[in-house]
Amino acid sequence: MTTDTDAPRDRHLCETCTEAYPTARLLVLHRGARHPDALDATEIEAYREAYYEEERELKSFRIRALGVLVLLYFGFLMLFIMYAS
Amino acid sequence: MIRSTTLRRFGLGVVLTSVLALVSDPVAASNAAVGLAGASQDNLSVPRWLYLATGGATVGASALLASFVTDRRFIERVHLWRTTTGFSDSLVSVFRATGSLLGLVLLALVVYLGYTGPQVPTVSFAIILVFAGLRAGYTMFTYLVADTWRALNPWRTVATVVPNGFVSYPDRLGRWPAVFGILALVWVETATNVTSRPKTLATALVGYSAVTLVGAILVGADTWFDRIDPVSVFLHFYGRVAPIRLDDDGLSVRLPGMRLVTDDDMTDLADIAVTVVLVWELTFSGFVTTEQGAAAIRAAVDVGVPPLVVYGLLYLGGFGVFFGLYVLAARVTARRIDTFETPLSLAVRFAPPLLVIAAGYHLAHYFGFFISLSPMLAEALMSPLSSPANPLVLTLPAWFGALNIVFILFGHLFAVWVAHSQAYRTFPSRMQAVWSQFPFVAAMILYTIISLWLISLPTATPPFI
Ligand SMILES: [Zn+2]
Repeated sequence: MTTDTDAPRDRHLCETCTEAYPTARLLVLHRGARHPDALDATEIEAYREAYYEEERELKSFRIRALGVLVLLYFGFLMLFIMYAS
Repeated sequence: MIRSTTLRRFGLGVVLTSVLALVSDPVAASNAAVGLAGASQDNLSVPRWLYLATGGATVGASALLASFVTDRRFIERVHLWRTTTGFSDSLVSVFRATGSLLGLVLLALVVYLGYTGPQVPTVSFAIILVFAGLRAGYTMFTYLVADTWRALNPWRTVATVVPNGFVSYPDRLGRWPAVFGILALVWVETATNVTSRPKTLATALVGYSAVTLVGAILVGADTWFDRIDPVSVFLHFYGRVAPIRLDDDGLSVRLPGMRLVTDDDMTDLADIAVTVVLVWELTFSGFVTTEQGAAAIRAAVDVGVPPLVVYGLLYLGGFGVFFGLYVLAARVTARRIDTFETPLSLAVRFAPPLLVIAAGYHLAHYFGFFISLSPMLAEALMSPLSSPANPLVLTLPAWFGALNIVFILFGHLFAVWVAHSQAYRTFPSRMQAVWSQFPFVAAMILYTIISLWLISLPTATPPFI
């Protein structure tokens, strides 16, 4: 895989597969999802925390996505009522 | 802030969509648009802009729905599901030998009957086999069932029995020769009379055979048919969508399109270009065969531009726009998301869904054509040497227009799921996986609307060629 080496940013390297991530949190999420058996106790705790934090973000995203879907549905319903004959 | 900017871009996509819908003729509801509402022509008519906006919104809404699925294990189960059956070696060699023989016999018959048979397209074995058979039916089989071209390919059969591979092929060229090869073949199909004159078709095939054999013997059969030969690359890329794969390990079945998530055999810009060509060539031939497309070309010619230049500019320019749009989507994703993935690596990862879209377009363009010509194809294959006096062509019922809409939308829905699975494989964070898809989905919405627009227009013969 090609990665951007010019970026003057921190590289958080995965010690299992050498993939690099720009933040510690992304590395934690990567290791939790890809190498669940290679984690030690503190890493498991960090992963759980990051996972639940993300769960909260996903929840708020889902609410907004649901709002967009409802708007789309009723918007198109109105358009069909007005323009389809 | 990732979110607000992405939302703004998403909004921009919706605005672009509506502008495009307004540009198209808002007055008449076409047959296809009517077909969306019901089987009967005078059932319910929908203005064209609404029909297009609904199509685009369907793709956008399904992307939003897919984003509700955030369970990595479930997504992996779907794209990793497979069953396999082994074959005995003797059975494999019987398959191979039959395929090779069939390919050689068919090629010989097409060339021979192209020169000696009747010079009428509707009764010509060569024309029926190449266009109703290979271009329509066999390509459908390749993405709906399995890619069997490697066994059938007559040029490969010949090239592998003689010594080959004398020159080494520069790796950096990748599949670019195939990109230009496919563009060239589609150009020949559009701008010359290979589709109507069997003799021209036979001559084109002789020329193609000569180039292919010399090339394959020079650089080696594996390299030639994997990277350079346009027909093989075309079918091989479509074959990646297929649920069934036949190889040395036997037969494996996966869910349709799911190989695209795990194959990882696209590597560079040329591979992305091949997938975009597959989408573009169908859009182009769709455009030039509509009344509006023909009128646009006539208008440009009236200004004083030579017809072939108009076609050429449209053909290459449109390809550039489609290609640029996808690369732009990759750039936007790479910039918006906190990642070390480059735009190129993202474009490579998100290119495979385009193949499902291309398959949907191909079905929409060729399914009706194939069904109506299938009695003719069957007759030609059963008795190639006697040409029928009254070629039988099936008349398609009106609801076939609605079927085309279903094919296009279905292709996009599958593509949305493939992109979703790919995003979860690529990004460690599920939020990143969700946001990364939206620029690509916006590009897909634009492609959907263009295709739905094209199939809703009345058809015409392309002018000047
Ligand atoms: Zn790792």
